[in-house]
Amino acid sequence: MSGPAAGRSVAAFVRARRPAWERLGALTARAGGSRLPLAEVEELDRLYRRAAADLAHARRRFPGSDAEGYLAELIASAYRVLYRPRPRGAALLHLLRASIPAACRRHPGALGLATALLVTGAAGGALAVALDPGAAELLVPLPVREAVAEHRMWTGHLLSAAPGVSGAALLHNNVTVAVLSFGLGLTAGLGTALLLVLNGALLGAVLAHAAIHGMGGAVLAFVAGHGPLELSALLIAAQAGFVLAAALVDPGEWPRRTALQVAGRESAMLLAVVVPALVLAALLEAGVSPSGTFSPQARAVLGLGLAATLWAWLLGPRPSGG
Amino acid sequence: MAGGPVLEFETPERVAVALELAGVGARAYAWLLDALFIFLAWVTALLLYSISGDLVREVQALSIAGQVLAALSVLLAGWGWDVAWEALWGGRTPGKRLASIRVVRSDGGPVGLTEALVRNALRAVELPLAYAPAILAVALSARRQRLGDLVAGTLVVRQARFDLSRYDLPATALARFPQLRGRAAAALSAEGFERLADFLRRRPALEPGARARVAVRLAAALAARASVAPPAAGEAEGFLEALAAAHAEGR
Repeated sequence: MSGPAAGRSVAAFVRARRPAWERLGALTARAGGSRLPLAEVEELDRLYRRAAADLAHARRRFPGSDAEGYLAELIASAYRVLYRPRPRGAALLHLLRASIPAACRRHPGALGLATALLVTGAAGGALAVALDPGAAELLVPLPVREAVAEHRMWTGHLLSAAPGVSGAALLHNNVTVAVLSFGLGLTAGLGTALLLVLNGALLGAVLAHAAIHGMGGAVLAFVAGHGPLELSALLIAAQAGFVLAAALVDPGEWPRRTALQVAGRESAMLLAVVVPALVLAALLEAGVSPSGTFSPQARAVLGLGLAATLWAWLLGPRPSGG
Repeated sequence: MAGGPVLEFETPERVAVALELAGVGARAYAWLLDALFIFLAWVTALLLYSISGDLVREVQALSIAGQVLAALSVLLAGWGWDVAWEALWGGRTPGKRLASIRVVRSDGGPVGLTEALVRNALRAVELPLAYAPAILAVALSARRQRLGDLVAGTLVVRQARFDLSRYDLPATALARFPQLRGRAAAALSAEGFERLADFLRRRPALEPGARARVAVRLAAALAARASVAPPAAGEAEGFLEALAAAHAEGR
């Protein structure tokens, strides 16, 4: 290169170009926080290209110098501002209309597996309690058994990270269960599968135990409001976990690292459903389920309707376009 | 730049950039700072709140939905803190800012909400194990990634600070050694100049005896290369300043 800077010492080079670099740094810092007027955007673009050329020059002529390090940092931060993804309403809309449902439907196997494991667990738990009421002592948490014995309703969660442990145990909450069933996908899916079967067993056992003691209707009426959403969220979180597991176990033609990153993006879409669904379920559980103002029928319609809406959005027919 | 592992990427303008990856120390430091900030934020909020009312009683008086929201916000605050800062502030949390590190995508680009969500969601797996898997992964993996980074496709890089003022050299130093004018280029390569600038910047921190010894030896070696007589012992530093200034003058 025979630019104006060629042949000069590093200090002379820095002296000549430093005002432009500092201007670029200032513009970059401001562009990171707010919108720039058009003239300054054009200036930023011009300065960025000049500084990029300066970095190439510094790397060849002054390798290892502080000037080179400074320019590398400057270019990297300007690059982060210039190529930043745009946080626009349109992008969000696209995410909601297309990306998230597409991510869910790309992995029917994972969703099917999650559902099958949960149902199997529930059937097993229910069957065990039905065949041998003594099994309830093992499968149904003590506070629930006490409540059922006194024929009163309890207000615990449906899901548990550690079935068999008392409801007061630390890990007892829906968000933790959902996030764990996602994260445990990294155990090649074994942890996720275990969590699903155990939660299914807990659920089945509790329902069967309550039914045997004549409280089946009451329990169903209580969970009708929030249960469908909670279980849907668990299934989607587990699906995300299995997507991770599949990338780990069988990365296909990609290197494992790349496959895992692609799966990570897919599962982020799914997690974006799980968290709001759980928040909504928690609000329903607290505000609607225990109150006497809503009839059991209304609660069932509300809960099932919300879950059906969720699944229709994720799996239903696509709107045109896209 | 030190010799640790680096992230190399190319901008669309075909400029290759290399950034140093952050190690366990800086990341643990940033994590501790963030934990402290979250803790202080809660304490402040509680203190402010307790001025106006009795928190426990008021939470109990909340509707059940309100209590659930309050509990959820406590639960999600730690996660949300990291996600929100990283997504909105160029991959930095306040702790990371103070530790001079930031999260970037593995192609060097800025992290978005997706990456921030994923890499922090996987903390749920590492936290119950006292972060041991994360610490091991960062220490041992070639790209210094913990599970969350691996899945999200992110890296944590060091934000090095470079000071260009080292290139501001007063030409007055040259007045006492005018013979150096025009000879500095022969004595100093571009890299040699950087090392000389390192010495000139760091000398106030050196032990006086060592400082004088290094100055004399440097001055003697460089004077020989520039084909001028070596300076007197007391003038070694002035000679070095003049040499750097002569080099900085260029041609």
